Amino acid sequence: MTVDRRDFVRLSLGSAVFAAVPRLLAQGVAAHTVKPMARPAPSGRPFHAHFVDVAATAGLQAPVIYGGVESKKYILEATGCGCAFIDYDNDGWIDIFLLSGTRLDGDPPGATNRLFKNNRDGTFSDVTEKAGLKAVGWASGVCIGDYNNDGFEDIFCTYFGQNRLYRNNGDGTFTDMTRAAGLWNEQPRWGAGCSFLDYNRDGHLDLFVSNYVRFSFEHAPVPGENVNCNWKGVPVECGPRGLPPGRHSLYRNNGDGTFTDVSQQAGIASATECYGMTVVAADLDEDGWTDIFVACDSTPSLLFMNNHDGTFREEGVLRGVALSDDGMEQAGMGVGVGDYDLDGHLDLFKTHFAEDANGLYHNDGKGNFDDMTRSSRVAVDTRYVCWGAGIVDLDNDGYPDLFMSTGNVYPEVERKLPQYANKTPRAVFRNLGNRTFEELGEEAGPGVTDAHCSRGCAFGDYDNDGDIDILIVNLNEPPSLLRNDIKEKQNWIKVKLEGVKSNRSALGARVMARYGDKVQAQTVLSQSSFYSCSDSRLHFGLGGFNTVDLDIYWPNGLHEQLKRIPANQLITLREGSGIVKNKGWGIS
Amino acid sequence: MVGMRFPAWLVVLVATLVTCAVIAAQAAAERIGPITSALRAGQFDQALRLLQPELRQDPKNPQLWSFRGIALSGKGNKRDALDAFRQALKNSPDYLPALEGAAQIEYENRGKAADALLQHILRLRPSDPTSHAMLAVLAYGRGDCAAAAPHFEQSGSLVESQPGALQAYGDCLVRLRETEKAILVLSRGLAQSNSDASLRCQLASVQIMAEHSKDAIATLQPLLQESGTDPNVLDLAASAYEADGNTPEAVRLLRQAIVADPHNVNLYVDFSNISLDHQSFLVGVDMINAGLSVEPKAGVLYVARGVLYVQLAQYDKAEADFEKADALDPRQSMGSAAEGLAAAQENDPERALATVQSKLVKRPNDPLLLYLQADILTQRGPDPGSLEFREAMASAKKAVSLRPSFAAGYDVLAKLYLQAGNYPQAVEQCRKALDRNPKDQVALYHLIQALRKSGRRDDIPDLLKRLASLRMAGAKEEAERNRYKLVEEKTLPLEKQLP
Repeated sequence: MTVDRRDFVRLSLGSAVFAAVPRLLAQGVAAHTVKPMARPAPSGRPFHAHFVDVAATAGLQAPVIYGGVESKKYILEATGCGCAFIDYDNDGWIDIFLLSGTRLDGDPPGATNRLFKNNRDGTFSDVTEKAGLKAVGWASGVCIGDYNNDGFEDIFCTYFGQNRLYRNNGDGTFTDMTRAAGLWNEQPRWGAGCSFLDYNRDGHLDLFVSNYVRFSFEHAPVPGENVNCNWKGVPVECGPRGLPPGRHSLYRNNGDGTFTDVSQQAGIASATECYGMTVVAADLDEDGWTDIFVACDSTPSLLFMNNHDGTFREEGVLRGVALSDDGMEQAGMGVGVGDYDLDGHLDLFKTHFAEDANGLYHNDGKGNFDDMTRSSRVAVDTRYVCWGAGIVDLDNDGYPDLFMSTGNVYPEVERKLPQYANKTPRAVFRNLGNRTFEELGEEAGPGVTDAHCSRGCAFGDYDNDGDIDILIVNLNEPPSLLRNDIKEKQNWIKVKLEGVKSNRSALGARVMARYGDKVQAQTVLSQSSFYSCSDSRLHFGLGGFNTVDLDIYWPNGLHEQLKRIPANQLITLREGSGIVKNKGWGIS
Repeated sequence: MVGMRFPAWLVVLVATLVTCAVIAAQAAAERIGPITSALRAGQFDQALRLLQPELRQDPKNPQLWSFRGIALSGKGNKRDALDAFRQALKNSPDYLPALEGAAQIEYENRGKAADALLQHILRLRPSDPTSHAMLAVLAYGRGDCAAAAPHFEQSGSLVESQPGALQAYGDCLVRLRETEKAILVLSRGLAQSNSDASLRCQLASVQIMAEHSKDAIATLQPLLQESGTDPNVLDLAASAYEADGNTPEAVRLLRQAIVADPHNVNLYVDFSNISLDHQSFLVGVDMINAGLSVEPKAGVLYVARGVLYVQLAQYDKAEADFEKADALDPRQSMGSAAEGLAAAQENDPERALATVQSKLVKRPNDPLLLYLQADILTQRGPDPGSLEFREAMASAKKAVSLRPSFAAGYDVLAKLYLQAGNYPQAVEQCRKALDRNPKDQVALYHLIQALRKSGRRDDIPDLLKRLASLRMAGAKEEAERNRYKLVEEKTLPLEKQLP
């Protein structure tokens, strides 16, 4: 009998073509690729939100220094950083906190994180030095929360090297409390995403920090050195594949300004094979306890479900939110949280690499997710590397839309393969109201179509005109501040929560807004998008409805209801006390 | 076809018949004695003459008819011999010698009645190795390894003494995914036929498949040490070394094979596969170019080069190569399928679908193209119940019915059933995919989701562990592959080394 070895091989391996052809490179990142769907015909419906980049006139002119411009030698230079809208002085006008990186050959002048105070006239003033927040290094993510419950939001920044906890002193200044709080890393680590959360419902904000890779300059490979250092045949910075993954940490707040590392006993430390990025802490199964979702790059994302006893169980794969709809790893970077289909449950939107679709995951209310990427038509565009993400109602029509900031990680690739530009436009998908989305371009304004190499973005109403504006980090350029000028006014409401028994920031609180026959869920987050923190005031577009009913689920278990709240205002709700006076702005 | 020989069956048959004769009455034995002597001496005409009066006297005697069958068979008159044996069986359906005689002739002719006759023998004599061996060969010839394997096993030493039969047995076990057992069988065969190169190669192939690459290397060593080693052996050894993580040796052997047999296009394809695995696409392209310089009409080389061009995002060149492959060999769908995939890879799903559908017009029963159509349609996210969804489902079903070994087809079907909310069917398709490829992570993931959604959680913890373990194994394999990258040698380009 004649032996045909190839027949044997094909028998067990299947067609060689299908093993080989979809094996797209992206050697350092997950090789999952998805064909974009055909675009349906435009709906023709007008989109009334209009974004213009006003950063320069607003006073945001300093570039965010982050690694090489023409090329990146290490992945550290490529991942970039986040930003935050934070009302650090409690005047009712959200301020801006921008992270920054540096360069391999030394800290260039102006490379620092920056705090910008809102002047309430559309402009901002740099108060970094005065606030004591000048810091140079490879900053990654920022999360906001009042960890000492003194009524002033504090800042935690993750870094390659040493993370930093800044306590807000309440007088416009911050103090670095990292060491005093017990958050000092004895060995340098690469902190990535982070989130304050009250996982044990004791009223104090604990802290979860994801870590990306274990990186050192001494041992890191260089472009082209191995297969994880090539992209479409071009030598590029290496990783994350091939680099050892980082370890994630959970720190319990002791209630006295210090934290204890409880990663091991909480079950967090057992999740070891993942490159952690953005962290979102929210009650995803609506059992009253905050869960933790970690977007992971090129490895399965993590969903830590709260066991109510100080421990977590990791169930990302089981609950359908860790991988693509075919069970493949993706390059998960940013996470948007919102209720895109208005069923009262918190859905997730995760951003991915180019040639993969961003993932829209529908929550059934019990923390089980279905990948709706294709059926929602989000998968029509796979051109860009996407980072910041939001499920936010941009035009106040009552249906949350999707927004992404984008930008390549390999600036050198563009020279050889121009179709992979380094700077790419933002992406807006408007909600058509039938569980599908339509991608917009120029209709959303020049702020969306402008091309930048962006990373984190934060959503908030910096000019307090009742719509969502967007702050975006651009690598090696000044940030973008996209002012939203809604052309046709629709109704809205903003909800600011103050915990009393619950943590002061009300992180983890869920609010359901009912308007007409619609119900929309939102939650107060310490971090979302990519490594960023948005305005803590929950903004609901109400469309044509001029009143709204609210259900508030406080982190410590209290459930309150408010009926027929008039639209077009900010209301501040204090736990157990109902509506209280706003600080600095809004009708009350 | 497997050529099994059953030597001296005639002698055996006569001996059986004589034994029966001894038991008969003395008078009958006196009449039969000369007949059997003539048969033993090969004097078949004499035997036939002696049989004539006996048959007139005793026309229902199965023994006499069987003697007649033997004589006629000895003369080469198989048709009349078969009639004689059948006549014997008419009178005595369980008469073993007649059954054996008829079975032998039907077996040699691959007649339809062979199976039934052999099964009849086995009912009377369940452990008859010859009948088992014949049934095994017949079933193997039909492609029914599930039926063949048990018979091979019960053939005992009869099969083990025949390398061809042993290889068939080994082949069957592989097709039934019993690779470890195949290794045992083939190893026994090799122990008896140490110099059988074909058997040695088959064993090594199975060892590679079973991920015993070191064993495969050891198996091939005697052949590799010969001078002027067969290029196919070099190719096989290259696979073994590559599987063992020794890419430098794999590449060295492949290059040696190519120089020894530059017109063997499979060698260039294998080299390009190694290049793909090690992300060394340009090196692969160069090698394929060398192959095309000597075999310019080898369609498979164009497909291989096109695949490499896709990896380099040179889609125009890839498309040109796939078109060329298609033009050179329209019977093969690889070029068309790859072209469709390349279009999809270039983020042009409409063109991908159009390409595949245009090829399907010419080849409507091509499982690869049907699968591609199903996959592309599924990627469009059609609503369950929509025309497109139904089309995808029909395409996937047809693909797997045409090629039941096609795990990817079951993956698409499972996904469609999941989307339609038909979880029991989704579970079934996932399990079929996993039967064909236990390492299919897509099927495993879909199975977990389908079981969760249908509330059947008992198996989920083990499945989750299995998925995690497959992922880790995959990551490890990838790390192993990534140890080496192929670079151009600073020597004469290969095409200049070729004769």
